[in-house]
Amino acid sequence: MSAPERRRSKEGEQLMYAKQAAIVGDEFRPGFRLQRSWSWSMATSFFLGETGAGLFIVSLVLGYLPGLVLGLLLASVGKTAGHLMHMGQPIRAWRAIFKLKHSWTSRGLLAIILFTGCGIILVLDGAGLTFGLLPPALKFVVIAVAGVSAVVIMLYQGFVMSHSAAIGLWSSGLIPVLGLTYALLSGVSLLSVVGYGMLAARPHDDEMLQIVQVGLLVYVAVMLYSLVHAATFGPKGAQQSMSMLLHGPLAIWFIPLVVVIGLVVPILIISLEPKGLVPRLVATLALLVGYYTFRVLIFKAAVFDPIQSFLPQVARARPRRF
Amino acid sequence: MPRWGMVFDLKRCIGCNACTIACKQENNLPTDVFFTKTLSEEVGDYPAVTRHYIPTLCNHCDDPPCQRVCPSGATYTRSDGIVMVDENLCIGCGSCIVACPYDVRTMIQPRHLEQGLFGDGHFTPYEQQAANRFVAGTVVKCTFCHERVDAGLDPACVTTCPTKARIFGDLDDPESDVRQLIAERGGQQPLPDKNTSPKVYYID
Repeated sequence: MSAPERRRSKEGEQLMYAKQAAIVGDEFRPGFRLQRSWSWSMATSFFLGETGAGLFIVSLVLGYLPGLVLGLLLASVGKTAGHLMHMGQPIRAWRAIFKLKHSWTSRGLLAIILFTGCGIILVLDGAGLTFGLLPPALKFVVIAVAGVSAVVIMLYQGFVMSHSAAIGLWSSGLIPVLGLTYALLSGVSLLSVVGYGMLAARPHDDEMLQIVQVGLLVYVAVMLYSLVHAATFGPKGAQQSMSMLLHGPLAIWFIPLVVVIGLVVPILIISLEPKGLVPRLVATLALLVGYYTFRVLIFKAAVFDPIQSFLPQVARARPRRF
Repeated sequence: MPRWGMVFDLKRCIGCNACTIACKQENNLPTDVFFTKTLSEEVGDYPAVTRHYIPTLCNHCDDPPCQRVCPSGATYTRSDGIVMVDENLCIGCGSCIVACPYDVRTMIQPRHLEQGLFGDGHFTPYEQQAANRFVAGTVVKCTFCHERVDAGLDPACVTTCPTKARIFGDLDDPESDVRQLIAERGGQQPLPDKNTSPKVYYID
């Protein structure tokens, strides 16, 4: 299939999808319009950034070097690669740091730069490659900057999304908190697998980590329900998005993957069999699948409100109930 | 300094989309890229059926969320209120596209600059000249035809509209047509709940 044919086929699929979801595509009709600017590459970037930063910060607390390295790689390399793939002009990416006063994207870029720099210093120090040249006072500053910037990475993407009221589903204070919670949960879960040997020798830390993991899982479930609740009774665009996620064409992904595999399965496994490596691996994989699906779907379900707010009620588009 | 704005008279709009064509021609827009559209919608049940026409374009908001979220400063507002994008600064992150409640921003894709509108897809000389105006991977939008406005002309869509459904003028001038129409017929801004203070008004 040639490139133009592939494009036509993709556009046809999008049109069919739009009709199925009772929203308009590029037609000259008023109605809900799908957000199509941010998709897989941004979802992957957000996922890797939050997961990596979460793993880094949990590893920093427990002093686990391999976790620091993996977290640093995921958040610095993986996230940056995803963003560069998404950008129309990746060579100009450095310009994104200029608007710290207004833009959460700029603040996020600063956090990534600080996180990468301090993270590399901490990893080198942990591996004994600074040869004692890092004085304790300076090391404390590096740890503090790395920790704070990791938290900013976990949070800022949510603020980028909720900064504008354009998309009803995203325009909620729950989005940054949900991102932060998912990030910490992914970090804790990943550490329970990659740090299995270390945790076996530190049963007290292992037990604490399990308690935190279950607590975060429950908290994510509550936050997710809160998001669904807020969107269901929120702006029309948010209602339309939630209708697509719960009853419409995206429900076959949202409920089985995000809710069942991503939350119920890990809670059951960790509650029933918390000690073995295989159960932990399965629970972590299930959680990450659910979290990644959530990140993709939150982009796929995003719609812009119809603009005809000034017309009589009869002419205004209403969210379609599936 | 004027504060440019536009009024759409919905009673006059006949949905001919001449404005859409004039805009594409004036700005040499590639295929699939529109700065303005006239949406149409059939409402009611037979025999009480009617059709609404809703012209749309960038609202050049007083508090533009696209400018607030732009990390590189590519989106800026001129002193006369026209919101612009500097294609030399745009990094193509798409933040402004998802932040604009009116969905009126477009990312120029490489394919937009590779295929002409006519015949076998080769560029005509006119299209070739147009393709050089755009940079792939950057965001474009309506500029109220700022070159025309700077030269004392109305935007192309306003000049072309056969029913005078589009009225352009200075929102700060109490004597201007736009101000008087808004005052007399109660101009309404689109999606006021988004708190963007659009400089485009609809009168019905």
